[in-house]
Formats: sequence, structure tokens, C-alpha cells
Amino acid sequence: MSKAILIDTTRCIGCRACQVACKSWHNLAGEPSGFSATWSNPRHLNWKNYTRVIFRELGEGENLSWHFIKRQCLHCLDPACESVCPVGALVKLKEGPVVYDDSKCIGCRYCMMACPFQVPKFDWGSAVPLIRKCDFCADRLAAGLPSSCAATCPTQTLTFGERGELLKEAHRRIGAAPAKYYPQVYGEHTVGGTSVLYLTAVSFEELGLNHQGFRTDLGTVPYGIYGREWMSKVPWVGLTVGGLAVGLHYLNVRRAQVAAREEPKED
Amino acid sequence: MATKIEKWYPGEGQITVYRATLYVILMLGAILAAARLFLGLGATTNLSDAYPWGLWVSFDILAGVALAGGGFTMAAAIYIFNLKKYEPLLRPAKLSAFIGYLIFVVGLFFDLGQPWRIWHPMVMWNPQSVLFEVSWCVMLYTTVLAIDLFIIGLERYGKETWVKFFRDIYLVLVVAGVILSTLHQSSLGALYLLLPEKMSDLWASRALGPLFFASAVIGGMSVVTLESLISSWAYNRKPEVKLLSSFTKGLAVALLVYFAMKVTDLYARGATVWSLDKAHFFFYLELFGTVVLPAVLLTFKEVRESVKGLYLACGLTAFGVVLNRFNVSLTSYGGYREFSYFPSFVEILMTLAFIAGGILIFDLGTRYLPIYKSELEG
Repeated sequence: MSKAILIDTTRCIGCRACQVACKSWHNLAGEPSGFSATWSNPRHLNWKNYTRVIFRELGEGENLSWHFIKRQCLHCLDPACESVCPVGALVKLKEGPVVYDDSKCIGCRYCMMACPFQVPKFDWGSAVPLIRKCDFCADRLAAGLPSSCAATCPTQTLTFGERGELLKEAHRRIGAAPAKYYPQVYGEHTVGGTSVLYLTAVSFEELGLNHQGFRTDLGTVPYGIYGREWMSKVPWVGLTVGGLAVGLHYLNVRRAQVAAREEPKED
Repeated sequence: MATKIEKWYPGEGQITVYRATLYVILMLGAILAAARLFLGLGATTNLSDAYPWGLWVSFDILAGVALAGGGFTMAAAIYIFNLKKYEPLLRPAKLSAFIGYLIFVVGLFFDLGQPWRIWHPMVMWNPQSVLFEVSWCVMLYTTVLAIDLFIIGLERYGKETWVKFFRDIYLVLVVAGVILSTLHQSSLGALYLLLPEKMSDLWASRALGPLFFASAVIGGMSVVTLESLISSWAYNRKPEVKLLSSFTKGLAVALLVYFAMKVTDLYARGATVWSLDKAHFFFYLELFGTVVLPAVLLTFKEVRESVKGLYLACGLTAFGVVLNRFNVSLTSYGGYREFSYFPSFVEILMTLAFIAGGILIFDLGTRYLPIYKSELEG
């Protein structure tokens, strides 16, 4: 039922066709770019770049290896953005995508703060700004099509399918070629599991993408739990404080009356 | 027949240099606010995808609300704990609390990407969101404070029957105010429970809620004291040193309790307390400079009974609460974000304009409302 994408980064050739397909499908404007220390282009996700391929060089000389890591919204199973949004503009669909309702958003940007992968981006240049991020081509999924990036990928780096089956396939690949893969699927358990799953040649620690949206210290608990835990206590704290306040008020007024009767003189 | 209301203080009605300056800042702020609305956040602020929340959240929202904690603290002290002798401090505290929340609402208005949708949380609910709860509590509490000021207004115009009606149900307002304040003051800290991975472990605590609540009480008490001193100076009244001396004894106790909470929390989490970097510098400044130091100062009777001593100790304390909010919301990210953030001219000037507006409203309030009048008598 819940769709997902398996990204086997060992198959990626860095052609960036997924970036182009994403821009075409969402009708996003291009932007001038420039040279940088890596081949990644554009340099950051922003309100008109929902996805990009990070180019990573590891080692030197004989040991040089090149890694291409596609970055996009990971579509958490239990998204932090959904749990923090005060107006419920972000929702995880049972089909897989985490989608955003333009008509609800007030622009508080709490989702940007809360996302463990720093995916939601804001249209800073506009006077009527909205949050923008990959929507897993929810409209295509509804029509029974795969996401535009997965449909475009020429090397089958991106596999679109049921999350359970993709996980099985990922572990099959690891089992079939243990030398080729790092034996963990990023996103299988990360923050409670995500709908975008990554197979890599080396660990994400080694890839050093902690500051580029792929943290390895996120744990397996969805971050929304902390907010829900707090909110579950709110009614009880309110009742307790209210009860104490009323009780103490009458108690203290009574004490003052008694004290005044027993000791009529001011000290 | 219209009778002229007697003067509340000498020199009333004159535009002083202070007031003129405040009006100029307010006007500049209004112009920049219009620019912010028409040009958008990107053009006027230094906020970015890496720093979605900046000065306005740290100061107008987090620090402003904490400093406005005096309203519920004083109401609780007087009506719930029956500490009647602090009553002269109550009304100014309510007025400043209302202004603090006004600054929150106006600050939030300009900080939101789509300010005209500020009412959305009222009809679009997400009960698992801490921010949803904060917006409801702040909305209701600002209403409570507005009703409270409305009663004071009724008093001024001598609507005795109405005043009596509200006095009869007054406990309801007090209790509602205390509940709402407890909830949102702590929940503002709980906003940061969801992002521990991005924060320095000096502040990324599971106890952020209770810590924010405790420091809001402290912030409120220190502002109430400062306000009393400053109004005495501005309106040529004698400072109520005796009352403040006893009041700040309570502040010293609150500071010690807060210090104990902080230390327990840091110890329990095993945070790296001793180190030398920017975050630790601000951490030491916060903990030792603005919690321990004023607590020690206030234990001396000589400090508590001198106007200068009170200014120093309470100034440090109030500054410390502001610093704590900046630390939690900005310093904390120093080691994590790749980019740096410093507020833009517009952000700074608009914040100054909010403060200037607040002071002017306070000034108007004290001039036209019976703020320095007891409400327990009669």
C-alpha cells in the first residue's frame, strides 16, 4: 500500500536526469549556477530545487572512489514536520508521500526547524511565501505512475515500489554482493523509518554527509514523539495547576482570616 | 460637565526628549514593517533556509513572553498565595504583561511568512503540535490580560456596577491566566524538544519546559522590580525600596531554585560543561553572570535596599533570561549550522520599534489608567 523509493547509490552515474525530470514535472524555474569544489549542482536544496545529487570523492590515487547520493525529502513514516505544523498543513498520506497544503500554511517555518533531514525550504524572495519540498509526485502516484525521478532514472538507481518489497530487495542485494554494499539500509529504521531508502557502498559516516542532510546520529525514534509526549501531559498539567490555584486561594484566604481573628493587631 | 482629570505626575502632556526619540523609532519601524510586508522576508531579513528562525523569534517571542511573566507571577502571588503586601506591584505588572504579549503578537505577525493567516490555528487544528498549543494559550491569555486592563479602564470611567461584576468573577480570570501562562511559558521551551540533534548539549535538555517556566517567573519578577524603579524615576515618585527589598528576596530564592534545576539537569544528562568555545562562553555568562551573580548579590540586604543595587541585580537577571532564550534558539546551533546568522538592520530596528511602542503604551497606560491604585481595597 505504502509506496517507497529505493536508491541504490552504487548504480548512480551522476547524470542528474532525476533533477531535470523533477523540475519538468513540477514546472520549476532553472537558476544560474557556477563552479564549486564538487560536481554537485545546484549547491543546495531550495524552494525550486526539490532534489539534487551530491557528488562525493573518497580516497586518493588508486583508492579513489566516487559516490553519488541523491538528496530529497525522505518521506518519513512518522514525519516530524507533520507533528509540529500548528495548522496541519503537512500530512503523511497512506500511499507514502508527505504532502503540503498551500492554503493552510501560515509560514511559521517550524517544519524547517524540526525536520531531521533539513528538507523543507522556504520561498524567501516572495511576499506571499510558501514551504516547498519534494512531494513524491503525489499527483503521479494517485494516477498509478511512479515519481518522475524514478521514471526517468536510466540506470535503475531509483526503484519505485512497495516499501516492504523494496526493503526485501535491498537486503537481497546486500546479501548477494556483501563486498559491494555497506550492510545497512539508511531509512529502514532511521527516525522510525522513511519511504526513501538508501543503499550505499560505504557508510554514511564515511561519506561525511552529516551537514548535508544525512545524519547518522538520528536514532530510530520518530522525533514527533517528543512533541506528542509533551502534548499528552498538557491537559493534566492544566487541570492540576488550576485545581491547586483554586485550592490554595481559598486555603490562604481562610488562613488570613483565622490569623486576623487570633491576632487582630498588625505586627 | 467635563472636568479636567488631575495630573498623575508633574510635567504631564509635555513631549519630552525621551518620548520624541521613542516616537521616531516607532515611525521608522512602521516604515520598515511596510517594507517587510511588501518585499517579503528574504529582502528585509537575514533569515535563510539554514536559519529559519532568527532575532524576532528569539527576542520578540521567546524573550518577550518570558519577561512578561510578571503578570501571572504577581497575580498568583497576590490572589493565590495571598501575599497582599506586594499589591502595589500588581497593576504595573499586568500592564507590562499585556504589552509584552502585544509585542509577541505583533512580532509574530511580521515574522510569519503569511501574517494575514495568523488566525489559521483557530480553525485548523493539529493537537499534536506544541506550537498549536502555544498559539491557543497565547491567544487566550492575551484576551485575559485585555479583559483585565478593560476592568481597570471601567474603573477610571467610574462604571462601578460593571467593575463589581468583574471583581466577583475575578478569581476565574486569575486562575485561567495562571493555567494558560504555566502551559505556554513551558511549551515555548518544549518547542525545542523536537530538535535535540541540532542543538548544543548545553541546552538540548528534556527539561526545557520546566526550565523555561522557572526562568519566566524569574524574568517576570526582575521586570516587575525594574519597572517599579523606572516608573519612580520617570514619574518623580519615591522608589518603594522596602517593598522591593522583600520582593527581591523572593527573586533570590527563585534564582537559587533555577540554578539547582539547571545544575541537576546538566549533571543528569552528563553534558560537557567545561570547555572553551563560543557556546561555552555564552553558557558561563548565562549561568554564572546572570543566575549565580544576581542570586548572591540579592542575598545582601545592602544591595536589596539600594536603588543602584536593585537595578544591577534585576538588570542582570532580566538580561540573563533574554540571553537564555537567545542561547537556546541561536547560540545552540552555532556548532551545527554551516552558515552564520546575524540579524539585518530591518530586524534590529523593527525589534527596537516594538520595544519603543511598548514603552509608549506603558506610558499612556500609566497616564490615563489608575495603574498605581490598589484593587483590593473597597
